[in-house]
Amino acid sequence: MAKRIEVSDLNIYYDKFLAVQGVSMTIEPRAVTALIGPSGCGKSTFLRSLNRMHELVPKARVEGKIAMDGQDLYGPNVDPVVVRRHIGMVFQRPNPFPTMSIYDNVAAGLRLNATRMKRAELDDLVERALRAANLWQEVSDRLNKPGSGLSGGQQQRLCIARAIAVQPDVLLMDEPCSALDPISTQKIEDLINELKTEYTIVIVTHNMQQAARVSDTTGFFNLKGVGEAGQLVELDETTKIFSTPTNQATEDYISGRFG
Amino acid sequence: MREAYHVELDRLAQNLAEMCDMAATAMSRATKALLEADLVLAEQVISDDQRVDDARAHCEEQAYALLALQAPVATDLRTVLAAIHAAESLERMGDLALHVARAARRRHPDPVLPAEVAPYFAEMGTVVVRLARQAEEVIKSRDVDAARSMDAADDEVDDIHRHLFTVIMGNDWPHGVAAAVDTTLLGRFYERFGDHAVSVANRMVFVVTGKMPGYHTNEI
Repeated sequence: MAKRIEVSDLNIYYDKFLAVQGVSMTIEPRAVTALIGPSGCGKSTFLRSLNRMHELVPKARVEGKIAMDGQDLYGPNVDPVVVRRHIGMVFQRPNPFPTMSIYDNVAAGLRLNATRMKRAELDDLVERALRAANLWQEVSDRLNKPGSGLSGGQQQRLCIARAIAVQPDVLLMDEPCSALDPISTQKIEDLINELKTEYTIVIVTHNMQQAARVSDTTGFFNLKGVGEAGQLVELDETTKIFSTPTNQATEDYISGRFG
Repeated sequence: MREAYHVELDRLAQNLAEMCDMAATAMSRATKALLEADLVLAEQVISDDQRVDDARAHCEEQAYALLALQAPVATDLRTVLAAIHAAESLERMGDLALHVARAARRRHPDPVLPAEVAPYFAEMGTVVVRLARQAEEVIKSRDVDAARSMDAADDEVDDIHRHLFTVIMGNDWPHGVAAAVDTTLLGRFYERFGDHAVSVANRMVFVVTGKMPGYHTNEI
């Protein structure tokens, strides 16, 4: 079930270094929110903070609040593993488990999380995830072959199938197409468009045309200054951002005048 | 690469400004040819019109290439869109000056206009040429207020245009049907020329503000 994420006054630190400062935004359910901005401006860090993935870096911490449908994701009794179970992630480079079969890749999350499951039930969930990722037709006759044998674009859709197999509420994507050719990219973009009817999707992308194509809302991140923290400069409807942005820095960035 | 792109965008605006200059010069000469039955000047306007048409084709090709190769957004995108529309208006302005010049040639050596309506055309000619010059300035300066200030002068032309009908339709019009038709058409040419000049300036307002003056649906 898609859920709304409310971020208020979020600061993200790596040890003493303030990486991202003062982010407040609402991420709407059943919609795609794109985050754009120059390299090193904190958008990936911000994305990772949404499912506490950045905590895998030692001494990373946050101040402020992130709530999903009202529930504080950083509350004292909240297990980060459970957060990541509800908020899935897809990375820049397709990273299927290389020695596992296609089937096992998709089933991996289910097996980790669950409760024993009947084979038929598992088969059903794997098929559903692969169908939802638009990969079923291409792999249904070789589910027991290794996932690493697929093309880059297929591997990325396999990773999306793995992420949605556990039926998360939110899907985070960190430059999911930057290692893919245009045709695979188009397939992922089509898939994002289909998935948004069921999930809350947040995507970080360096391809501005992609942000313009796939997202409903776009947020522009930028550094406050050299060596300073990243911040959310402007957040608005995607049509507004790419036609008449309010902030000059946003306009300069999307027009290719810096960055 | 991006540098070359911005140079191309600037050049597109320069070409538009030059088209404005061509249209203004053409209308200024055509008006003189009309009022003074100057055949040489009329011929010059007629042959120069090809330059305006060529400039329009060139602007469109430039705009097309920018869209295809650079995927402009925001202000850059509005600049390209505005250029496509403005170039069309400017070509029309050139054509209207051409129509005026052709009328002068057709009736030569006789004057086209009865003496009593000629002063109206002298006035409309002055005002619409000034409007075209102002549009040229707006393209260069992107001055939104200057663009908006053009409406009053355009209303003045509209008023004269409307008044001409009263003169022609009056019971005491002694010049016959042919002169009435000439006067009506020529009045219309000046009125349209002024409207197009304002429209060109309004396209520049759109470039700056993202909103087209006078449109009801301003939300994108």
